[in-house]
Amino acid sequence: MRGRVNAGLIAGAVLVGIVVLAALVSFVWTPHDPTLVDAANKLREPGGGYLLGADKFGRDTFSQLMVGARTTLYVGIVAVGIAALIGTPLGMIAGMTPRGWLSELIMRVNDLVFAFPALLLAVMLGAVYGAGTLTAMIAIGVATVPAFARVARAATMQVMVTDYILAARAAGRRRAAIAVRHVLPNIGSMLIVQASVSFAIAILAEAALSFLGFGTRPPIPSWGRMLQESQELLFSTPRLALWPGLAIALAVLGFNLLGDGLRDYLDPKLRRIRAER
Amino acid sequence: MLSVDGLTVRADAVELVREVSFDIAPGERVGLIGESGSGKSLTALSLMGLLPEGVRASGTARLGGRDLVGVPEGRIKDLRGREVSMVFQEPMTALNPLMRVGAQVAEVMTLHGRPRAEARTRAVELLDRVRLPRPAQLARSYPHQLSGGQRQRVMLAIALANEPGLLICDEPTTALDVTVQKQMLELIAEVAPALLFITHDLAVVASVCERVLVMYGGRVVESGPIREVFTRPRHRYTEGLLAASKLTPRGTRLPTIKGSVPAAGRFPEGCVFSNRCPHATQRCETEPELTGEGHAHACWHPAD
Amino acid sequence: MILYLLKRLAVLLASTAVAGVAVFAFMALLPGDPAEIALGVNATPDAVAALRERFGTDRPPPAQFADWFGGLLHGDFGTSYVTSSPIGPQIGDRLGVTAVLVLGGMVIALLIAVPAGTFAAVHHRNPLGVAISAASQVGIAIPAFLAGILLVFVFAVKAQALPSGGYVPIAEDPQAWLLGLLLPWLSLGLVQGAVLTRYVRSAVLDVMREDYLRTARAKGRGRMGALWRHGLRNASIPVVTVLGLQLATLLIGAVVVERVFVIPGLGDLLLNGVAGRDLLLVQGVVMVLVVAVLLINFVVDVTYAVLDPRLR
Repeated sequence: MRGRVNAGLIAGAVLVGIVVLAALVSFVWTPHDPTLVDAANKLREPGGGYLLGADKFGRDTFSQLMVGARTTLYVGIVAVGIAALIGTPLGMIAGMTPRGWLSELIMRVNDLVFAFPALLLAVMLGAVYGAGTLTAMIAIGVATVPAFARVARAATMQVMVTDYILAARAAGRRRAAIAVRHVLPNIGSMLIVQASVSFAIAILAEAALSFLGFGTRPPIPSWGRMLQESQELLFSTPRLALWPGLAIALAVLGFNLLGDGLRDYLDPKLRRIRAER
Repeated sequence: MLSVDGLTVRADAVELVREVSFDIAPGERVGLIGESGSGKSLTALSLMGLLPEGVRASGTARLGGRDLVGVPEGRIKDLRGREVSMVFQEPMTALNPLMRVGAQVAEVMTLHGRPRAEARTRAVELLDRVRLPRPAQLARSYPHQLSGGQRQRVMLAIALANEPGLLICDEPTTALDVTVQKQMLELIAEVAPALLFITHDLAVVASVCERVLVMYGGRVVESGPIREVFTRPRHRYTEGLLAASKLTPRGTRLPTIKGSVPAAGRFPEGCVFSNRCPHATQRCETEPELTGEGHAHACWHPAD
Repeated sequence: MILYLLKRLAVLLASTAVAGVAVFAFMALLPGDPAEIALGVNATPDAVAALRERFGTDRPPPAQFADWFGGLLHGDFGTSYVTSSPIGPQIGDRLGVTAVLVLGGMVIALLIAVPAGTFAAVHHRNPLGVAISAASQVGIAIPAFLAGILLVFVFAVKAQALPSGGYVPIAEDPQAWLLGLLLPWLSLGLVQGAVLTRYVRSAVLDVMREDYLRTARAKGRGRMGALWRHGLRNASIPVVTVLGLQLATLLIGAVVVERVFVIPGLGDLLLNGVAGRDLLLVQGVVMVLVVAVLLINFVVDVTYAVLDPRLR
């Protein structure tokens, strides 16, 4: 049974669509070179080809936002990818043999990794290998693994007691076959929802890391660093903080709404399992 | 005692219960029987003022001179648990999991003005009265430590605590093991003041009640003393219901009522049973009244 | 109950030990020798060797770990390779500042979320209830540091009512201390309050559908009376879980918010440590933060047992 397409789903899809579109267009076109330092345009007011003005180095804010969307999506996709690829199989194993020692071990390690938030991991990685987009992505991805594992486990446990799985087991199918043929397709919608929610968190984490200087390095534009650079100019040019702040908030809102909307749409009965934030 | 007249329950435009009228005398035990969707539970809930959000009742229901329907929540809540009590179908979820059983029994008494210490003592007496073993110890346990049957007894103790004039039971034994059901029914029959007993199980009604109301499609289609209704049903729905419940000799087909119960709001105009009734004629497109003293029925073509 | 607590305690201790190994092993991967770094490129091999001995980095890693972890158990975090000052007291000072920041944020979050979430659940069909849900959805999308910048803009830049940053110890000037912490508290509290509101709302909504609430009403309680007496404690169980996770999130959020408001807390210390390549300091702060998260989880588990008799 499918739920209804709801207003949240549409709003989320539109917001995410805008971010994706901005990122894609930025590959072929931006109003200006987002990294071009130009003293003549220092703190230029909006207008005349500079839709949202320019920052203290004369870089076009709008162009930076567009390329920043790319950074955001890039970090989100890799981080969520890492989390899904590691977390899903672990969660499925734990969910298919909920009383086994392996399951117990997985969940214990999971709890332990949970004690290392993305930011701490990124700072540690940054201290050892030097901070950058890669360390940020890995840190956010690893920190998101527990959320995926928990949701995959809960969803798997729910699926394992259904009649068709019991029938498949009674028919003597191998566990791996059951996992791939029956469990995975049935927990897929929950994983998609989790991916959307995790994506929102990844955006927040990336922004925080870039703000602290542990994320994407200059000159590659990133929304978090744009905010950090704007902070000292908050008294004179608050718009420099406004736009990247708005971009982060709308992107996160978009992915959250998309996740919630998808959950209602894809499978109303899965609403009992909540995506982990 | 209880006098219900023209009780109608609506959710928005959909009529779920229509013009239900009946009386219960003090000490009388009345069964309300029907399939799910017949409106029997809503009838009971409207007497308690516990209808779900968006569902409204109209008509009158008076219990010992006090109105139950169309009364603001602030006034009817003082009657609940004191003048009229209810035991629900699902004992496993009806008790607060975080509160000791004794405290949950005592609560219904302190709520209606009994001093705390007195309520505590009486709670243990009540648990004893519903035949729970070692009541003093049991009062200190939590619901999850009790079986379903024990929990339902606790619910009964709560319902009886303030000696209400009327006890409503909504399928109180449906969720219980068969072996426990009989004891529970005997207990209810023994302790109930006036009783309104809701069930879909004909045998259960026969064992507990003196009089029965048969509901279908939100209406009472037949009512009367158990013995008469069960041996000489007049309404064709009751007839079908009884025929379907009889044990048939080996090899013969179990007679069933054709079709299935329509969704709420989808019942035919006129006689609500007409689309499933083998005896239906054009006349059934007008609504039959519930007629007859004692044993009444609402059917244009009653069985003899 | 006792068995449950002992089990949880064992999990806490084991996790702490494993986390210690993980943090130590991770930092041991750091390329470069602290002694060489401290002395610079022109140091003589003898001097480097002598310093290594003093740091203890000439010994095998397991021995170094035993030293470090053993020290932690009685509050000795070692001596910084960079500043040559003991790390423990620094962490101690900063921990107090961060704890005040986090707890204040949590209090604000709770003050917002419990009434707002309950209201939104009770009135989930009304426009106002829906509006609260929508507002919380927006609040979630704003990271704490962005909230901080916005608050600075409104209250420091525009209204000029509160300081935009800085920290005054309470012993020096209680009023300045309070005023300085207001915006940081709000930055953390508003955002976490929004997140928590959603969980409180859904927990209360779930509870409102429970049969025992109908039982309570059948006893003679009104809608709100039943919810108050029987609903809220039940609803608090899932909320406590989230609260635990939230505290951990707040702790990390505080690291960033300290940067925004120039507050000398653990986050500030950590970031300075990274910038100054002060390995042992970073190791110590990370360990303290991780143990704090583990401790919070432990407290959540204990709270469960207190709230829920089924766990005892």
